Amino acid sequence: MDIVQIALQVIVVVTSLFLVLLILMHKGQGGGLSDMFGGGVSSSLGGSSVAQRNLDRLTIVVGLVWALCIVGLGLVARFS
Amino acid sequence: MLTAFGRAFKTPELRNKILFTLGVMALFRLGSQLPTPGISYSLVQHCQKGATGSGQSLLGLANLFSGGALLQLSVFALGIMPYITSSIIVQLLTVVIPRFEELKKEGQSGQTKMTQYTRYLTIGLALLQSSTLVAVVRARPSTLIGGSSSSCPTVMPNNDLLHVAIMVLVLTAGTGLIMWLGEQVTEHGVGNGMSLLILTAIAARVPGSVWAIHDRGWGTFLLVLAIGLAIIVAVVFVENSYRMIPVQYAKRMIGRRMYGGTSTYIPLKVNMANVIPIIFASSLIALPMMVAQYMQPQNGKPAPGWVIWVTNNLAQGDSKSYMLIYTVLVLFFTFFYVQITYQPDEVADNLKQAGSFIPGVRAGKATAQYLAYVLNRITVVGAIYLSVLALIPLVALGIVGANTNFPFGGASIIILVGVGLETVKQIDSKLQQHHYEGFLQ
Repeated sequence: MDIVQIALQVIVVVTSLFLVLLILMHKGQGGGLSDMFGGGVSSSLGGSSVAQRNLDRLTIVVGLVWALCIVGLGLVARFS
Repeated sequence: MLTAFGRAFKTPELRNKILFTLGVMALFRLGSQLPTPGISYSLVQHCQKGATGSGQSLLGLANLFSGGALLQLSVFALGIMPYITSSIIVQLLTVVIPRFEELKKEGQSGQTKMTQYTRYLTIGLALLQSSTLVAVVRARPSTLIGGSSSSCPTVMPNNDLLHVAIMVLVLTAGTGLIMWLGEQVTEHGVGNGMSLLILTAIAARVPGSVWAIHDRGWGTFLLVLAIGLAIIVAVVFVENSYRMIPVQYAKRMIGRRMYGGTSTYIPLKVNMANVIPIIFASSLIALPMMVAQYMQPQNGKPAPGWVIWVTNNLAQGDSKSYMLIYTVLVLFFTFFYVQITYQPDEVADNLKQAGSFIPGVRAGKATAQYLAYVLNRITVVGAIYLSVLALIPLVALGIVGANTNFPFGGASIIILVGVGLETVKQIDSKLQQHHYEGFLQ
C-alpha cells in the first residue's frame, strides 16, 4: 500500500504543478470586479483559437488525472 | 414564464449552454466535498461534532464564499476567495498605479492584460492562503473547525513537511481549477462564471441555515420565511432601480444621410457598488479580532485592555458597537467604491465625443459636475439600503439566534438576487436572438 500511496503522491504533485501552469497559460476571460457582481453586460467574443482549444483539452485531461489521484489517495488512506 | 423555460430548452444552442453551466456547478460542488490528501475526513467529522460554532465569525465570509468547503478542508477549500481578493487588489491598483490606469483606458486589450495580472495574483494569493490555512490546521485545528483543543488535537495523520507541502500544492491547484472552471462558464455557458460559482457556494448553504431556524419552533420558522420573501422582493426592486438621465444626440449630416437626433438615457443604478462594500466591511471588521487572537497571552497573564474590549465587542455580531462600526464601514465603502469605479469626467468626455448632451446642461465640465451631483445623491440612498441589508443578519442573530450565515441578508442575498437577475437577463437576451418571448416581460 505504501508504494501506491507514494506513487499517487508523486503524480499529484506533478499534476498540481502542471495544472497551475496550464491554467496560467490560458487567456483570461471576464473583466474584473464590476463584471463579477453585475456591472454592465459583458459581451463574449466568438469562438476561441485552436491553441486555446488544445490547451482546454490538455487542462481537462490533467484535471481529471489530478482529481482521480486525490480520490485514490483518499481511498488508500481510508482502507489502509 | 414556464413556457419560456420550455423554449429555452428547446433551443439547442441555449440548452447546451445551460446544461454546461449546470454541469460545471455540479463539478464545483463535488470538488467542495472531496477531502484534501493528508486530511483525515473522519477526524474532521469528529472535530465538527464537538464544535459549537463559536469561532465562525472570524472566517464567516471566507467560509460563506467557499460554500462550507473551508471547514471541511476539501480540495476547493479556498474557493473563489483568492480570485475575489486579487480582483479587488487589481481594481484598487488602477487608482494608485499610473500604468494600471493606462491599461484601463486602453479598453479591451488593456482589460485582457489586467485580467491576466489578476490571474497571476490569484495563484500567488492562493499559495499564500493555502500555506496559512495548512499551517493553522497543522498547529491548532480547533481554531478553524471549532471545538476545544483537547477533543480535537489534530486532523492530519502525518504532519511532516512533505505532506504539508503536498497539501499546499493541492489547495493551490484547486483554486486555479475553480478559476478556470469559472472562465469556461463565462466562455461556453450562460452568465458570468465566477459569480455563478459564488452563487453556487452560497446557495448550497441556504437550506441548511434556514432549517437551523426551525429549532426555534415552527412559528419563528414561518415568520422568518415570510420576512425572507419580503426582503427578496425588496432587493429585486432596488436592484432593478435606475435613475434615468436623458441624453440627446445632435443631428449630423454625413454625406447625404442624417445621423443621430435620437434621445436615450444613461441609467445610473441606485446600488451601483453592489455587494462589494459589504465584502470590504466584513473583511476589515474581522481584522482586529484576528489580531486580538494572536495577542491573547498564553500563560495566564491578564490580556491588554483593548484585547478584552475587542473580544467583548467585536467577536459577536449582536453587540451594539459591532453594528455601529459595521454600518459606518459599509456607508464609507459604498461612497469610496462608487467614486473609484464611476468617473463622471470620463462619461462627460465620452458624451462630448459622441456629439451628445444632457438637455439643459452644457457639455464638458458642467456635465461632469451634474453627473457627480446626481451620483452623490443617488449613492446616499444606495448606501443606506446596503447598510440596512448588511445589518439584517446581525439583527436576526440577536432575535432568532440564527447563525452568521443567515441567508436573508447581507452579502448572501445581494449576490443571490443580483447574480440570478443578471443570468436570467442574459438567457433572456439569448432567447430574444431566436425571436422568442423571454422570462421577463
